[in-house]
Amino acid sequence: MRLQSNPIVKKDLQVTARSMRFSWGLFAYEAVVALAFLLGLHSIQASVDSYYGDGNVYQDLMNLFPVLAISQVCIVTLIVPVMTASSISGEKERQTFDIMMTTCMSPLSIVFGKVSSAVLRVLFYVMGSLPVMALSFVVGGLSWSVLFYFVLAVIVLSVFAGSVGILCSSLCKRSISAVILSFVMYFVLNLLTFSPLLVRRIWYWNEENMGECLLPLLFNPNVFLEEFFMQVMTGESILGSTGESNFIREDVGYFTYCFTYGKVWVFLSAGCILLLAFLFMLIAAWKIDPLNASAERIPIKRIQK
Amino acid sequence: MLYINNLTKKYGSFTAVRQLSLHIPEGDLFGFVGPNGAGKTTTIRMVCGLLRATSGSVKIGNVRGAVGSREMKRMIGYVPDFFGVYDNLKVREYMDMYGSMYGMYAREITKLADDLLELVNLSDKKEVYVDTLSRGMKQRLCVARALLHNPKLLLLDEPSSGLDPRARVEMKELLKNLHSMGKTILISSHILSELSEMCTSIGIMNHGQLITAGCMEEILYQLSGGKRFHIQISSGMETAVRMLQEHAGVELESVMENEVIITNSGTEEEISALIGELIQNKVILRGFYKEEGNLESLFMQLTGGGEPS
Repeated sequence: MRLQSNPIVKKDLQVTARSMRFSWGLFAYEAVVALAFLLGLHSIQASVDSYYGDGNVYQDLMNLFPVLAISQVCIVTLIVPVMTASSISGEKERQTFDIMMTTCMSPLSIVFGKVSSAVLRVLFYVMGSLPVMALSFVVGGLSWSVLFYFVLAVIVLSVFAGSVGILCSSLCKRSISAVILSFVMYFVLNLLTFSPLLVRRIWYWNEENMGECLLPLLFNPNVFLEEFFMQVMTGESILGSTGESNFIREDVGYFTYCFTYGKVWVFLSAGCILLLAFLFMLIAAWKIDPLNASAERIPIKRIQK
Repeated sequence: MLYINNLTKKYGSFTAVRQLSLHIPEGDLFGFVGPNGAGKTTTIRMVCGLLRATSGSVKIGNVRGAVGSREMKRMIGYVPDFFGVYDNLKVREYMDMYGSMYGMYAREITKLADDLLELVNLSDKKEVYVDTLSRGMKQRLCVARALLHNPKLLLLDEPSSGLDPRARVEMKELLKNLHSMGKTILISSHILSELSEMCTSIGIMNHGQLITAGCMEEILYQLSGGKRFHIQISSGMETAVRMLQEHAGVELESVMENEVIITNSGTEEEISALIGELIQNKVILRGFYKEEGNLESLFMQLTGGGEPS
């Protein structure tokens, strides 16, 4: 499994760089980020000028960073599944898939290459928007390392979104069905991580202790993102803010208590999300392997004969 | 080179390929013939590792790996009947990409790609985008791509389908060249005249079963021609007909004004002796020839008139 010299990554980047669609995509992306910046700026100005405003624009200007960052992450999580969901099914539609499968590349390398190329293409967009992002740093108060962590968070989230897309691509024959399925799956996965907490709240509504019901949220990319920005901007956590840990011991189970200590949750959640992404890629690789029994499609015409 | 042993492919209750056993020696140009749905493509895909066989085994050369293994893939160059190309990718980059996919080094790819593009007459198209090439050029490029990693066995699934007559001739010449270079080639095609011109051996499939396989001349001789003789007679027709009717091992098929057609169930020496006897009995012969079998008639005979594909 070669990342640097993965021929699929090289080919995809070559082809993408030459297409006008990429240039227009980049333009549209920057335009949306710039629009988010202008709207954020207008909103801050309006709040400062309002009756309740304290006239201190500098503190509020720092909030431009999460506004821009979250708007970018939203776009990225929309773009990446589209890119990867149409990758394998697109190869099948283009009738290039069979030839690819007869080469020495393993199915996992192919899947890994497809996800990597989607992540790299998205990073082009993110890097292109850095000048706009830099505007939120002009008044100070934010460390440049925040920008670095933001890029890391984007990579984690785009790998996850990409893996969902590639899994759907391996399951569907047509690109359009794969794209739709990937968004449905992304939504369902988000919902599933909340389900233990909801079930416990409904069945044991009179109990304060949440047990370990928060742990599935480690796999939730949205919770990871929110926690990341809370930690970066305020040093606090969305999961609670009591003492050194985010919970008092009696409120949650032992593992939840340990994992919500300081920044542990963010790093652990990033690891869990990447692990889940890898699992999805493994399943996708298994599904596209033509020698795997479940990958086989019965030729209906022949059966009818 | 290629050993297929009892290969079977089932889709539920439908059997696409049944107990197929075949051996293709090294350096052979093997033609695979059969009507639509006979199981040729299924067989080729199983050999390539694009389809899982229900049972049976495939061995290429002395490679120990299973079908679909890296070792086996290195031994095979595959040209499918239909294939696509990428937009915005040049011919050279196309070759580079597939070379990398076989784990080849950039310098090695460049050298081999140049040679192969020369071989397939595309050396002047290196900087052209692949999606702008004609179908014939794309097909030749696909052959060059399949040869890039220097496979021992080349599998071509109807490479001439959809090509114009000129492109077909070019493809045929290319395959002849490759054969003369010592490559082992398995080709499935529905253009039987082409196959009969270039193949050294053939296999005929029908309903998932291999009906016959072997050296082209032998098969044609045994199954179709080789036993029918045309005797053209100038004078002494009555004597000739009488002698032929009385001769054991000879069946008189038809009698025309100056020609008789016989089927000989004996050896060629017996026919020579018979001709000698006719001459001794004052029958004057104008001509005498053995009817050559052809692939079309053989195919129709073996597949019960099924449409070739």
